[in-house]
Amino acid sequence: MAERTLSGIGVTPLSGVGKVVWYRPDADLSDPPAPEDVDAENELARFDEARSVAEDELQAERARTAERVGEEEAAVFDAHVQFLNDPQITDGVTDAIEGGLPAEHAVQETFTGFVEQFESMGGRMGERADDLRDIRDRLVRVLSDGERVDLSSLPKGSVVVAERLTPSDTAQLDPKRVAGFVTVTGGRTSHAAIFARSLALPAIVGVGDELESIEDGTEVVVDGDAGDLIVNPDDDTKAAATAEADVHVRTGPAETADGVGIEVAANVGTLADLEPAVDRGADGIGLFRSEFLFLDRETPPDEDEQFDAYVDALESFEHGRVVVRTLDIGGDKPVPYLDLPEEENPFLGERGIRRSLGPDASLFETQIRALLRAAGSTDGTRLSVMLPLVTTLDELHEARERFESVASDLAEEGLAHEVPEFGIMIETPAAAFMADRFAPHVDFFSIGTNDLAQYVMAAERGNERVSELGDYRQPAVLHAIDATVAAADGHDCWVGMCGEMAGDPDLTELLVGLGLDELSMSAVTVPHVKAAVTETNTGDAEALAANVLAADTKDEVTNILTSDQ
Amino acid sequence: MERIVTVVPEDGLHARPASKFVETANEYDADVQLGRADTDDLAPAASMLAVTGLGVSAGEDVRLVAEGDDAEAVLDALEDILSTPEAEH
Repeated sequence: MAERTLSGIGVTPLSGVGKVVWYRPDADLSDPPAPEDVDAENELARFDEARSVAEDELQAERARTAERVGEEEAAVFDAHVQFLNDPQITDGVTDAIEGGLPAEHAVQETFTGFVEQFESMGGRMGERADDLRDIRDRLVRVLSDGERVDLSSLPKGSVVVAERLTPSDTAQLDPKRVAGFVTVTGGRTSHAAIFARSLALPAIVGVGDELESIEDGTEVVVDGDAGDLIVNPDDDTKAAATAEADVHVRTGPAETADGVGIEVAANVGTLADLEPAVDRGADGIGLFRSEFLFLDRETPPDEDEQFDAYVDALESFEHGRVVVRTLDIGGDKPVPYLDLPEEENPFLGERGIRRSLGPDASLFETQIRALLRAAGSTDGTRLSVMLPLVTTLDELHEARERFESVASDLAEEGLAHEVPEFGIMIETPAAAFMADRFAPHVDFFSIGTNDLAQYVMAAERGNERVSELGDYRQPAVLHAIDATVAAADGHDCWVGMCGEMAGDPDLTELLVGLGLDELSMSAVTVPHVKAAVTETNTGDAEALAANVLAADTKDEVTNILTSDQ
Repeated sequence: MERIVTVVPEDGLHARPASKFVETANEYDADVQLGRADTDDLAPAASMLAVTGLGVSAGEDVRLVAEGDDAEAVLDALEDILSTPEAEH
């Protein structure tokens, strides 16, 4: 059969080849019996029982998602549980049962009414309609003793194709077995898309009804970068997709065409990110956001729990470096057990190192103990620690003293430990301006481009109205990066970058030209950046950087970068 | 007892903030209702369907009305949720 292409929205820059497995959660019901044949009391009891089974399932899936994808994504299941127990819904179903419907039909009818109501409201309500459909289908399946299609044990090389995938569906997909997924509906920010990126799965959403014509077992290529689903691919297409998939993962350090080594590392926001980072060929961890150990819980993690997490990270990368950022929490992140002040301007308030040296000093001490012990438990030279939001040398010296004092405590207690490599984030104009004074006192800098752009440009990250200003292609941001690298020159201080900018393969040549030694990004783009590094020549890269630094406006910068490709 | 609160989380009363809001409303011994500050219509705060169905966005003012032993406490807790930005990751 001839090759043809369906287009949708690509949500990960990954390709996969495999065979279509249609996933249709079975919610078809036969006609209900006559009302007089329905025993309402019995049906009400069945409905109660089904709710309790569904709730147990949801809690189990919540736990699995929290572990595999992240706490934030897992929170969607809390909403499901609340819909499940919503008094309006329970009343609706009860009325329908008392009106003579069996429980599964009553559920179907009641939920469908609410689904349609939410859909007709447009906007964000579409997501709520999806939530309600998910719960409706779950309850109907439980009530009709439906078999669950087990997405976690599909044959290797399956491409899951569905009308839509709910969060619970997506959480079951195993990237080792599934070659990708494609859905009729959905957008770049849908839950399914977010999950695909976290799990590093090739995926396309929003293909439209045309997808329905693709039959089970059809061979396809999922090009999650272009958003193309290639049906019945010929051998050349398949070979190209497979070759691309191979190109994607390079293990071992990347070098430029003229032999300069650039470390390409992954950012890790939960322990579940470790495996994809290793699978995608990261050299190490350039940013271990230790916050996840502290958020969404009632009490802080103790020393041993933190120690275990840091050792896990070190063990995942037998040879690579692991850069742990100390707790970066501030007025904008609610943490129940911390007494965080309400602040007019949380991004300019008590956050990052300011809290660690102030109100969270004892928390900081526990974290340092865990870090030093972790450094001492494995090959300690591979653990690095960096401080967030440093703006003064006093902060650096004070933090360093705390490390030394904890080290001497540990020595007195006879506990194995080592003082790790020590660095700071460069994410404020203050740090960038003073980088030459910081450089003699640290082992490395890591430039956090999201915050640096925000503070240099005085443009809040989350505010769409000023997103043009907060862009890292703004000359002022590029000059701050350049100044940082220049300040480190001549000192024993390497310079890395973590943040979105580091993960953009279109900017790799520029960053090499600016003199970065290390780039750290979300695991999914590691292979692309490694590929870009190998295609770079440092002489050309330096010329490009000089051109870019001479530009006056962001548009000029963008033009230079585009014409260079 | 009632209170007017401006909704801060970027998602408005959707997703995680809505979920937390409903969970909290259910934890207290009080009957809580909410609505937009500029209308008299009120919906039960203990119902996820009713709360998300209002479609309240960030920056809008909502009116919370509570009756019962824990009225003040529940209003404090709900105000806290509505005026706390979502965690940044």
